Amino acid sequence: MKARSFLLALAVLAGCATGNAPSGVQVPAERLAAGVVPGATTKAELTAAFGKTKTVVFDSGYEAWLYQSPAGDGRFSEFVILVNPQGVVARTRQGPVSSPQP
Amino acid sequence: MGPPVCYRLRCLPLALAAAMLAPGAFAQDSPVSTVQVTSTRDPVDKSYRKMIKGMERFEREHAYAPQAGLRFQLLPRTPDVTMDGITLRVAGDTLSVKMPVAPDNSFVLPRNEQALREDAAVLANRKTTSMTWRAAIVTPGLPPGTRRLGDLRLECRVGVEAGLVSNSSPLFDWLSNALTSADEVCTSPNGNYLFFAERPLFAVRLRSGERSETLPFHFLYAGGLPREELPFCDCQVLLDRTYYVPLWDKAWPDDTLVEFDYMTETAEARP
Repeated sequence: MKARSFLLALAVLAGCATGNAPSGVQVPAERLAAGVVPGATTKAELTAAFGKTKTVVFDSGYEAWLYQSPAGDGRFSEFVILVNPQGVVARTRQGPVSSPQP
Repeated sequence: MGPPVCYRLRCLPLALAAAMLAPGAFAQDSPVSTVQVTSTRDPVDKSYRKMIKGMERFEREHAYAPQAGLRFQLLPRTPDVTMDGITLRVAGDTLSVKMPVAPDNSFVLPRNEQALREDAAVLANRKTTSMTWRAAIVTPGLPPGTRRLGDLRLECRVGVEAGLVSNSSPLFDWLSNALTSADEVCTSPNGNYLFFAERPLFAVRLRSGERSETLPFHFLYAGGLPREELPFCDCQVLLDRTYYVPLWDKAWPDDTLVEFDYMTETAEARP
């Protein structure tokens, strides 16, 4: 039991050390811009086209999905997708450009 | 602006709390001495002395927000808490003073020498861990959907000094305090003092003169905190309203506007 408690603490601390959950899957910006249509694209279609990525799920039923696109010089731009409670893309936004997250 | 490596300071007490809460966490292989705890302060209750220290810090560092006043605000932490009809009082050994609470659940803490002498608590009529607290320092006249960075810098200093963040079990408050001072939290990229917007956020942008920058994704939603860790965070029920700002980055002056792009154009009722 003590070992179990210790492992749980370690697991939480491991999350602390790395800070954030793994960053978004990398997809070229043009593919995202062409393939994600607010009001039409569904979650299943996102996953099928671009793969599972970093997602934050809220109690309201909304979800925020993060993809990253190469922006040159080893940098990446963010592509953030807001999925509504019906499972359809509600909004998207691009940027900022930064070094990839761990 | 470097990425905030989240929870470096704060997760230690969270991890210990997780270990303590695990089944069998208290099982021992060998006999140990027993410590009798006669009372623990409910995390919804705050130390009056600490809150007064926060108010004193506000006066000392008012230059961050020279046009703003100081209020404290109660916020929901668990989904089941009702935020209507909250009552507050300052309670010491012999003292009990009711405090008026505004419709937005903000209040002003009066200075009371007897309450200081009696090391009083500020008590809310709500269950343990059901709410959290923040300082509310708002410069009047800002455009709708914006905050001012200097106000947030001062909110952080006052909030940490006053012990308002209610992340972990009260058993670990002492440890949390040992690891985090206002100077550490509010001037370090690793400080990660959480703010809450009025409504769920889609993006946060900083604007100062001609310079404008959208904050990276990991500045929102408590850095994408895993759901299993949410119960240990005082952002539990407000995750979609949660954001960090680069308090430590002096390249952004105090008059920088923090602009919110909300998820929806109008507020939606919570399910």
